[in-house]
Amino acid sequence: MNEKELLQHYKTTGDLSALGKLYSPYMSLLYGVCFKYLQDPDRSQDAVMQIFEELIPKLRHYEVDNFKSWLHVYSKNYCLMQLRKDKRTTQVDIEDNLFESEQKLNTSEEAKWEERDFEKLEGCMQALNEEQKECVRLFYLEQKCYKDIADLTGYDLNKVKSAIQNGKRNLKICMERKENGK
Amino acid sequence: MENNYQLSRIHNYIHGLMSREEMFQLEKEALEDPFLQDAIDGYRLQNGVDAKQLSLLQQRLSRRIENTIATRHAQYFTWQRLAIGAAAGVLFVVLLALLYFKHFNGKAERTTDVTLSEPENLVAIEPLLDGGDAAPVGGWKAFEQYLNNQVRDGGKGGEIIVNFTIGKDGLPDQIHAEGTPEQALVDEAIRLLQSGGKWQGTKGRLKITFPLKEMKNSAQSNIIKPPHCFGIEKK
Repeated sequence: MNEKELLQHYKTTGDLSALGKLYSPYMSLLYGVCFKYLQDPDRSQDAVMQIFEELIPKLRHYEVDNFKSWLHVYSKNYCLMQLRKDKRTTQVDIEDNLFESEQKLNTSEEAKWEERDFEKLEGCMQALNEEQKECVRLFYLEQKCYKDIADLTGYDLNKVKSAIQNGKRNLKICMERKENGK
Repeated sequence: MENNYQLSRIHNYIHGLMSREEMFQLEKEALEDPFLQDAIDGYRLQNGVDAKQLSLLQQRLSRRIENTIATRHAQYFTWQRLAIGAAAGVLFVVLLALLYFKHFNGKAERTTDVTLSEPENLVAIEPLLDGGDAAPVGGWKAFEQYLNNQVRDGGKGGEIIVNFTIGKDGLPDQIHAEGTPEQALVDEAIRLLQSGGKWQGTKGRLKITFPLKEMKNSAQSNIIKPPHCFGIEKK
């Protein structure tokens, strides 16, 4: 059974082993996500189990199209809720989260690129700030990894990462604006 | 499988075990897959992938699933047991009810067994309740004792049913036998009733059984007393 069938099977029968099959492949990713927010191994493990408990009733009632991204958002919200509960200050990068929530909306419909699209892209590239322009160019055009880019530019690795993420987002917005403007 | 593959990639990525191309590839994937990116961020914070931890987590999940299935079975069996228990309870109550009614009905029929002695040896009386309500003032036992004391040696054996009324003085009156029994038995019954004690009630109807005595005269002293007839003495 594939993911969709498992999901449907669980929804109709409530068979917990089906939900287990669905959930278990994501556990290691989930653990990473939970650790990112909770920053404690035991709490992260408990969170992974607790999220499973919460899915048991939820997935019987909700229609979930894309299980993977749904699960990601759900677990992230779960962790943020946990943090809010114990009133710990969190260092969540707002830019990061903005990027991710937009990412969800873009269900990749791969459009054919024409010549003018490339021209548009070049125009948008110029509109980016220096950091983003440099990092995006190095990453997407020269296909360098973050570490190489950090070495080449002297930026911090995290800075490279967010410059690429934000640059990508800005490009997308710019391209869409030009599309609509036409 | 895909999961383990991703995990080992993350591990290699964090520990710098990847080639530049592989790193680029993973970074590009992560840009399209925020889930993956978050996981990479988390593992980087943890400084690596702990496979043991993750397999423990997998075990916890499978235990959790097994438990639920086991619980469901346990509940199922509990339900079954309850049903059996309930059925047994109902049966028990029905049985009790049957026993009770049997006992109760027995009383209602009033099969008053007043055979106070063995008929071969002693005079037996049986009050026939359909014919009257009479009872000896001293009780049936005393009456029977009186009969056995009074019965004449050499009397004829046999059965007789007598009807009588009870006068104001409590003595039997208008004694007459039913059917056509031997006159000796009738006479004997009348004699015994008339010389006996007082009665309660208005009408009496008795079946009197006189013992058949094959060895007349000699048997009297050899009468075997049934154990329940204590106090009966033969002269």
